[in-house]
Amino acid sequence: MAADAQQTPQQQLDEQLRSFEAALPDVADEPGLYELQVRFLGKNGAVTKLRRLMGKVPPSERKELGKAFNRVKQAMETHLATRAGELAAAARERDLARRVDLTFIPDPPRPGTLHPITQTRRELERVFRRLGFDVADGPHVEAELYSFDKLNILPDHPARDMQDTFFIERPTHLDHADAPALVLRPHTSPVQARTMLQHGAPVRIVAPGTTFRRDDDATHSPMFHQIEGLYVDRNVTMADLKATLYAFVEAFFGRGLGVRFRPSYFPFVEPGAEFDMQCPFCFDGQLSHGCGLCKQSGWIELGGSGMVHPAVFEHCGIDSSVYTGWAFGFGIDRMAMLRHGIPHLRHNFEGDLRVLEQFTSP
Amino acid sequence: MLISCTWLSELLGRPIDLSPVGEANDPFWAQNIAERLTSLGLEVEGIAYFELPKVIVGRVDAVSAHPDPKATKLNLVELFDGQASVQVVCGASNLPPVGGKVAFAPVGTTLPDGLELSARELRGVASHGMICSEAELDIGGDADGILVLPIDWEPGAELQDLVPGIRDAVIEISVTPNRPDALGHLGVARDLALALGCELQPPKLRSVADAPELPELVEVPASDRCPRYLGYALEGCTVGEAPLWLRTRLHRVGLRALNNVVDITNFVLMEVGQPMHAFDRARLAGERVVVRMAKPSEPITILDGSELELSTDDLVIADAESPQALAGVMGGAGSMVEAGTDRLLLEVAFFEPLAIRRSARRHGQHTDSSHRFERQVDYDAQLELAAGRALALLHDLCGATCVGRCDVRGPLPERAQIELDPAHVGRLLGMDVGPDEVARILSGLGVELDRSTEGAWLCHPPSYRPDLDRDVDLIEEVMRHHGLDDLPARHSVSPEQRVMLPEDPKRGLADALTDGLRARGLHEHVGLAFVAEALIAPVAAEFEPSQLVRPVNPMRSQQACMRPHLLPGLLDAVTYNHAHHARALALFEVGRIYRWPLSQPELQPSATSEVDPFLPDEPYRAAAIRVGQSQSKTGEVARALTDDLLACLARVGLHAQARPQAEPCAWLHPGIQAGLWIGPTRVGVVGELHPDVVAARDLSELELGYGELWLEALPQPPVVQFEDIARFPATTRDLSLDLDQRVSSHEVVAALAGAAASALSSGDDPPQLANADDPRQPIVLLEDYRGEGVEPGRHALLLRLNYRARSRSVTDAEVTAVHDAVVAGALATLAAIDPAARVR
Repeated sequence: MAADAQQTPQQQLDEQLRSFEAALPDVADEPGLYELQVRFLGKNGAVTKLRRLMGKVPPSERKELGKAFNRVKQAMETHLATRAGELAAAARERDLARRVDLTFIPDPPRPGTLHPITQTRRELERVFRRLGFDVADGPHVEAELYSFDKLNILPDHPARDMQDTFFIERPTHLDHADAPALVLRPHTSPVQARTMLQHGAPVRIVAPGTTFRRDDDATHSPMFHQIEGLYVDRNVTMADLKATLYAFVEAFFGRGLGVRFRPSYFPFVEPGAEFDMQCPFCFDGQLSHGCGLCKQSGWIELGGSGMVHPAVFEHCGIDSSVYTGWAFGFGIDRMAMLRHGIPHLRHNFEGDLRVLEQFTSP
Repeated sequence: MLISCTWLSELLGRPIDLSPVGEANDPFWAQNIAERLTSLGLEVEGIAYFELPKVIVGRVDAVSAHPDPKATKLNLVELFDGQASVQVVCGASNLPPVGGKVAFAPVGTTLPDGLELSARELRGVASHGMICSEAELDIGGDADGILVLPIDWEPGAELQDLVPGIRDAVIEISVTPNRPDALGHLGVARDLALALGCELQPPKLRSVADAPELPELVEVPASDRCPRYLGYALEGCTVGEAPLWLRTRLHRVGLRALNNVVDITNFVLMEVGQPMHAFDRARLAGERVVVRMAKPSEPITILDGSELELSTDDLVIADAESPQALAGVMGGAGSMVEAGTDRLLLEVAFFEPLAIRRSARRHGQHTDSSHRFERQVDYDAQLELAAGRALALLHDLCGATCVGRCDVRGPLPERAQIELDPAHVGRLLGMDVGPDEVARILSGLGVELDRSTEGAWLCHPPSYRPDLDRDVDLIEEVMRHHGLDDLPARHSVSPEQRVMLPEDPKRGLADALTDGLRARGLHEHVGLAFVAEALIAPVAAEFEPSQLVRPVNPMRSQQACMRPHLLPGLLDAVTYNHAHHARALALFEVGRIYRWPLSQPELQPSATSEVDPFLPDEPYRAAAIRVGQSQSKTGEVARALTDDLLACLARVGLHAQARPQAEPCAWLHPGIQAGLWIGPTRVGVVGELHPDVVAARDLSELELGYGELWLEALPQPPVVQFEDIARFPATTRDLSLDLDQRVSSHEVVAALAGAAASALSSGDDPPQLANADDPRQPIVLLEDYRGEGVEPGRHALLLRLNYRARSRSVTDAEVTAVHDAVVAGALATLAAIDPAARVR
C-alpha cells in the first residue's frame, strides 16, 4: 500500500475497480461472488476503506471524490448483479443437465395379494350391501337341527342324500344330555335359521361362508364357499327375487345380462328354482351365443333359489300367514373361477405362490 | 334316470322326431322335448341319439367250414340279404341252421362303436360284411354270440324298422327327491302331455278281476310297514328270452336283460315307476308269502349273492320258513325266477318309505327298487295299473295266466286335502296367473278341485304325488307349467326400506388384518380346514388332545381333524412351494381354527341356546409365514414378520409391543421369539420356527419366520381423542448402552421409561420424554450392534431420547440433569438382569 500513497484517491479507486473487474471472471459461484463483494464493498472492504479517506482530502476535492466513489461502487454492484445472473443461469443449466434413468428398476414392487375367493366374496358382499343386505355368518360346526331339520330336510328323508355330510362327535369330556347332533355345515343355510330365530322378521341378509361336503374330485372340494341371500317381509314375491338377482348380476358383471329360472327342488323353498345368468363371456349386448365356458348353451348355472317354505318359517318362529320370503344360494369358488378364468379347482387351496401372486387387486 | 323318447312317444300317442338335427320349432323334436323337461324342473343332464342304418335281416343259406384247417372256429356263411347272396366269414358258435335269420351289417355300414365295415379277407377268404351280436349293435348287453332273429322276419328289411326303440333318443334327467312320479316314463309323459297339449295314452293292461280271491297267498302281519300288498298267483309261465324290442328298451334305459319274467318286472318299473318282484312260487315253502319283520340276526342271501344278517327293523317277504326277499330292496336267491320256473307269485306292494330307506342304508344296498320305495310309490290307482301292465305282458310274452289274487290292505296314508286361494298364486309369484289357468294346470296334473266355494278351493292331489302337501306345493306346480319366462323383475319393497342387523365385529377385523398383511407384500393363502393328525404334533402343546374336533367320517386320514392351529396348513404351503420353486415366499392366512372347550360352558339364554353352548370354539387367527433369502440364518425374517404384524395392527388402530416371552413357545426358536402385547393382553406370538419343527418338514435349509395374531384377544380399537399438538421443540440425547445379549430392547426401554416417570414427576412443567414424530414412542431405537468393539455375548444398543416441556423451551442444562438421572435410574433397574450393564 506504500506505493499507493503516491496515487490520488481517485486513482486508487480506479485501481480497485480494475482489480475487481480482473477478479470477477474467476468467480465460479454464489459464495465466491459474496466473498468478492465483501473484499471490495464489505465493512472492511478495499473500497469502503478508501471512502474513509474522504475526511483527509481537502473539502474542494471531496465532491469529486464522492462522485468517483459512487461511480466505482455502482459499477461494482452492476458487475456483481450481472455476474450473479450469469452464475444462476449456469447453475440452472447444470441442474437441467442432470440425467437419472428412472426406468432402471432393479427391484420391481411385489405387491401382496388377496386370494381370489376373498376378492370375490368381498365383491359379492359389497354388491349386496349396496342392495340393502346385512352380512351374517355362523359356526362351521353346526347342529343337524339347524343344518337340516329347521330347513325342512327331515330325518331319514331322501333329501338328506342331496349332500353328503361330515358328522362331528363331541368328545367325552363334554358329555351332556341335551347336546344336539353336530355336522360340518354342508351349506350356509343354517345362518338363515339362526338369523330368523334371533331376529325374527323382517330380515334381509346375505350369508357368505365356508361349507363342507364329502366330495372330492376334479370339480368338488370337501371344503368350499357359498353365499346365500334371505329376504323375509310382507308381500315379498318371486318377482322381487328376480329383480334382486338382475340387480346383482348387473352390479357384479356390469352388463345387462339376463337371468332365468328353471323349476327345481330344494326342501327349504317352495316353489323352488335354479337360476342361470346369460353367459358374460359370449354376450353381445343382447344374446349370449355360446362358448366353451357356458358349454355352448349361452347360460351359466349359478345356483338355487325359491320362496321360503312355510314349514321353515314355522320352525324358525315366523308367522307364515303374515310373511313371505325368498332365498337363494350359489358357490363363491365357482364364481371366483369364472371371474378370474381359473381352470382347475385344485388351484384354490394349494397355496401355490405362482398362482396366488397373480391376483393383484385394488 | 334315462328316458327313452320312443317310450314317451308311445305314452303320448304322438311321434317324436328322434334325429339329432330337427325342426327348431317342432315341439316334438327330441331336443325340444329335452328343453321342455328342463323347464318343467326335470333337469336334463344330456341326450344321446341312437340309430342303426343299413343293418338288415340276413337269411343263412349255407354254412361251410373255413378252408384253412387252422381256422377251426371260423365258418363261411352264405347269406341272402334280400336281393343277393353274399359270403361272410363268421366266428360265432351260435349260428342258426340254414334258413335262420341273423343281423347282418353289410360292407359300408358304420357300427355304433364307430367301426366302418369294409370287405376284407379273413385267413384268405373274403368276407363282405359282418354278422353282429347285440353288443356290437348296441341294442343289448350280450356279446357272447351273434343275435339270432325270429325265423319269420323278411330278409333285407332294416332292423331298426322292425324293432321300435333301436332308433331312439335317450334323455338323461336328474330327478329331485320330491318327484317319485318322475322315476317312471309314465310320470314324465304325464307332465309332457299337459305341457304339449296331448292326451296321455295308458299302456295296455290286463284285468284279472275274474280270477279267484286267494287270501291264503299273502299274509301281512307287519301291516304298518306294508300298508298294501297285491299278490298274484300265475301259472303256465314259460321262462325264456324276452323279445328283442323289450330287451332293446331295457338296454336303452341302462338295464341288463335276464329273462322274460324279470325283464317284464323291470320294464314296468321303468314305465310306471313301480318296483315289483316275481317269486318262483314252487320254491316258496307253503307256496305263500308272509310280510313280517326279520328275526334277530336272521340270514338271507339276496340276488346279487351277498349274504346279509338282518335286523328286527328290516321288513322281509318270507315264505313259511325263511326270508325270501329284503322287502323293497332286493329279492332272495332262494326263490328267484329262472329257466324252468312255471308258477309265479307276483308282488306289487306299497312299503313304508322311511323304513325301506333305513334297510337299504343299513345293508348298503341302494337299488332301483329302494330308490323308488323310499321316495314313496303310489298305493292306489297307479299301483293297480302297474299290476295290470305286468299281468298283460306276462300273459302275452310268457303265457302266464292268473289263477288267484289277493289285495291285503293296512293303514294307508291319508290323502292330502289342501286349501288353495287361487289369488295367492299370483301374490307369491309376483305375476298374474288367472284362476282358470291355475285350474287348468292343476286338473291337468290329476289334482281334483272343488271350485264351488268362495275364496279358497279344496284340492285333492293324486296319490302318486306325495310331494303335494301344502298350498305352496300346488303353487310350484302352477309355476312349473305356467313357466317363469314372463315373470317380471319387480322389487316388491323399495331397497331403502332396509333392516339393520348387528354384525360380527370379528369378521370386519379379520378383513382389516387381511388387508394389512397384504399391504406388507404377503400373499393370502386359503387352506383346507382339515389337517392330518401327525402334522399337528409341533403345536400339540397348545391344547389338550381332547380339544381336537374330528369328523366322524373323514374322507382320508390326511383330513382326520379340523385344524386346531394355522401353522400346519401354512407349512404345507411352504413345502409345496419349496418343492416347486425356491423363491422368496411370504404367505398369510386369516381364518378360523377349531377346538373344543375344556369344559362345558354355561348356558346363556338366547334364541339359539339349544345349540350354541354345545359347539366347539371357532376363533379367528391371522397367521403369516416368511421364508428368508439369505444364505445363513440371521433372524432377520422373524424380525421382518414382527414388523409386519405390528404394522398390521397399527393399521387397524391397535398399538402393540413386542415383548420377550416369559415362557417360550415350544415350536419357536427359544432365542428368537417375542410375544405381541396390547397393554396387559398378549394378542399373538412371533419368531423363527424351531429347528426341530423345520427339520420335521425337511425344510432345514430354510430360515422360516412365523407369527400369528389371536383375534379373540384383540380389543376393539378405541375412537381416538384429540391431543394438543406440541408447540415447543424437543431436545435430544443419544445413549449407547453395553448390555448382555439376553437383555431385550423392550426391557431397556421399559427401564428408561420407568426411570423417567419417577425422575421427572416433580417440578413445574419439567422436561418430559417426548418424541415429535410419534408421541407414543419417546425413545427411538437406532441400532442393535454386535461385532467389533463389543464383547461376544453382549450387544450395544443405541437409543435416542427426546425431552420436551409442555409450555416452554427447555434448556440444555436442565435436560442434561434429567437425562443423567434417567440413565442412572435405568441402569439401576437393568442391573437386576445384567450387573455389567453400562453406558458406552
